[in-house]
Amino acid sequence: MIKVYSTPTCPYCVTLKNFLKEKGFEFEDIDVSFDQKAAQEMIDKSGQMGVPVSDIDGQIVIGFDREKICQLLKIEC
Amino acid sequence: MIYDSIILGAGPAGLSAAVYAKRLKLKIFVLSRDVGGQAIEAYKIDNYLGMPGVLGVELVEKFSQHVKNLGVEIKEGIKEISILPSSQNSFGVKTNSGEFETKSIIIATGKGYRHLDVLGAEKFEGKGISYCTTCDAPLFSGKIVAVVGAGDAGQDAACQLKEYASKVYLINKYDNLRGDDQRIQDEIRNSEKIELINNAKVAEVKGDKFVSSLVYQSFKNNEQKEIAIQGIFVEIGSVPNSDFLRNLVDLNEKGEIIIDHKTGATSKPGIFAAGDVTDVPEKQIIIAAGDGAKAALAAYQYLKSK
Repeated sequence: MIKVYSTPTCPYCVTLKNFLKEKGFEFEDIDVSFDQKAAQEMIDKSGQMGVPVSDIDGQIVIGFDREKICQLLKIEC
Repeated sequence: MIYDSIILGAGPAGLSAAVYAKRLKLKIFVLSRDVGGQAIEAYKIDNYLGMPGVLGVELVEKFSQHVKNLGVEIKEGIKEISILPSSQNSFGVKTNSGEFETKSIIIATGKGYRHLDVLGAEKFEGKGISYCTTCDAPLFSGKIVAVVGAGDAGQDAACQLKEYASKVYLINKYDNLRGDDQRIQDEIRNSEKIELINNAKVAEVKGDKFVSSLVYQSFKNNEQKEIAIQGIFVEIGSVPNSDFLRNLVDLNEKGEIIIDHKTGATSKPGIFAAGDVTDVPEKQIIIAAGDGAKAALAAYQYLKSK
């Protein structure tokens, strides 16, 4: 299960989400710009306040870290 | 396999160079940390010909689609690069993701953020300190924030943040707002949320797990003052991504690559450069794109003459 915490204005969030779509992965897109509870959940999980954050089966990735995301998804990058 | 040209960087300069080089049927490869460079973080772009109001992310998507449709290969995730002249007529390009050989190189690695260099700043990066206002502004809804640096980018950041934060301190090292955009400066002066602090620099960032306050120092009387804030957005300019080129091509005192502005040629034959990493005075998307094209055409002439 993949969750992406993002804001609508964040360019790297768009890049990350396009990347997941391109590779054929489904994900839950959580907009933290108006959902304060989700924003706090993201901060608690990642220990920081920047977007995007991905939760890939419980593993947290901060930013669009292509290498780490590919590793967790077990795909070629 | 030996490439005709390896393009380092995939911002407006690198991608434009790729379009021109590919159309000239050169064997090329683009190596980059990411696609778009700093242009992707520009929120709204009002001065790119034919596309007023386009979002940075949209413009970059158009650039990248154009390049990919031509069949150009782009390798992303490149963090380390070193260039070694391998023979009379070729270069070796060594990266964290493989080694390549090429007859010419176009450097378009752009610029990166200048990081805040004060006590506590490194510790709180991502923990209240952000270098991407466009990305993180919405996370500071109802919070008190500071923008460090009041140049064009800082002014823009303050205006973006006032839509979310309850208060925005704008810390300016000069005694007045500078820059050409009167509209945005009026917006700042007329905003009840923005407090402009002139003649000041940041001395320290404090907090526990996250940022909780900032200490600034006045240039006038050296007095220090602490303000409670939850977020700091840093806009103190940028530095060219040219460290890996020291001892290879001539750089100016800012670390920018010195180029021949007719051709983009650097001091090393076979190595060309374009965009914000060079000593071009105007750091603009449209100029970077134009210079990228110029460098590709010059590289083509160079290869033909060999």
